[in-house]
Amino acid sequence: MQLTASARRPAHLRLPYLVAVAALLAATAEVQQARGSDSSDTDQTSTARDEGAANRKKAEDRPPLEDTATEHASMEFAAYNDSDHVSVVTPSLAAGIDNVSGGSLNASYLVDIVSAASADIVSTASRRWEEIRQAGSLSGQYKPHDFGVGVGGSVSREPDYLSYGVYATMVKDFDEKNWTLNFGYGFSHDTAGRCGAEGGLGASSCTPFSVFSRDLQRGSFNAGISWVVDRASLASLSTDLVIENGDQSKVYRYIPMFSPSVAASVPNGASIDYVNAVRLPERPLEQLPLERHRFALTGRYAHRYDGSTLRLDERFYSDDWGLIASSTDVRWIFDVGKRFAVWPHARLHVQKGASFWEKAYVSNNPNGDPNTWDLPLYRTGDRELGPLWTTVGGMGLKWYLGKEAEPRSWQLGFSGDAMYTAYLDDLYVTNRVAFLGSLTLEAEW
Amino acid sequence: MDARIVWTCMLVALALAGGVGCTHVAPYERGKLAHPMMTADDLEGPAAAHVLAVHEGATGGGSLSESGCGCN
Repeated sequence: MQLTASARRPAHLRLPYLVAVAALLAATAEVQQARGSDSSDTDQTSTARDEGAANRKKAEDRPPLEDTATEHASMEFAAYNDSDHVSVVTPSLAAGIDNVSGGSLNASYLVDIVSAASADIVSTASRRWEEIRQAGSLSGQYKPHDFGVGVGGSVSREPDYLSYGVYATMVKDFDEKNWTLNFGYGFSHDTAGRCGAEGGLGASSCTPFSVFSRDLQRGSFNAGISWVVDRASLASLSTDLVIENGDQSKVYRYIPMFSPSVAASVPNGASIDYVNAVRLPERPLEQLPLERHRFALTGRYAHRYDGSTLRLDERFYSDDWGLIASSTDVRWIFDVGKRFAVWPHARLHVQKGASFWEKAYVSNNPNGDPNTWDLPLYRTGDRELGPLWTTVGGMGLKWYLGKEAEPRSWQLGFSGDAMYTAYLDDLYVTNRVAFLGSLTLEAEW
Repeated sequence: MDARIVWTCMLVALALAGGVGCTHVAPYERGKLAHPMMTADDLEGPAAAHVLAVHEGATGGGSLSESGCGCN
């Protein structure tokens, strides 16, 4: 008989295989050990039977083991609609488990169903498009005492966009948790592709990433401190430094160009017909700088009054594209009896546009050659890179549905926000009104 | 990035932090701090956080775990 050697398992599969086998053996040993303490089924001597009976009695007298873990789950259904004909529906799920030993594990999944016919899309003679984004995340943390570490990862997928990221965090408490330091680093990689004939979205065909794609890499450094201000107040400060490398220009975004004399007179919020009538024939794709360094400093303050909680957030932001911003967020949460909490919410965001932002970009045709255009190096139609301010006003409500002893074990939440954005120097749009509503169900057991 | 703005923000923040101050609060004195609404986590859900991220050219102060923009 000829013996044939079986194919060797590939190295990258061998380690998980060995780990699985080891886990199985360990589990078997645990079971055998447990069975050993109650071995009357296999032991045939009368002495052993007596011992077995005594052990059974002991086991019955022993109180049952308590589940020390806290599990929680939530689902949210959110809907967004704005005056620029964009609507998004977002159902999401999240679940987690926390153990008294300091370990926790959390997972989330969401779907964005986007439908858009904004001015940017219509101006390129494209139809309304619809797209679905799916995103998931998984994270774990272990913090047995005053030092903890955490790791996590996330994935986001659209037909023409794939993003994945991983991160690690570290946290250390000092002075009986009167103040805490935390550090984190995250890395993410985005791949942007292209779908639809002639760049128009909505078509079912997408160019494979292997044929056309653009990569964007992002490294995020985070450091923060939080501290107990007094018996009723908490504060925190955190900094974020984000370094992005890659071309994040949108492959569907065409930029209208104007002669110098026309550009100066193009009004804010011009109609598509007006722009098409006065623009130059060439319409190049958007081009953004290939690097971006972002910096943010965020302060938070929370104060607990008798019967209410005030939360204030402030973020200063600056980047090397010249964009400077301030975002202020306020919530004042009032307890209404034991079963309800209600809060008003207000937010104000103000920003100065990127240094290369222009409402109407100028192109010259110096030699009179219709095929040679002197285009600006950087050009964009992303109005979120221009000067703007946004104000948000809304309300939130929580209804605690749990039993009398733990009313917060089940929570039904609703929040609604209205947003008004003023675009101070934009070609097609001068303002946008948007509404966002969400319904949330949370449970903890 | 304008370094002067960054440093100004840092100084303002540190001044505010110093103004807010801190004191030692023993664990048994933290009944109010343990209220669920005093959590350090964001109160808005994933959809609201994403909408704000898309609406505002700025970023930061949130979770490191976010990825993808959904706005290509």
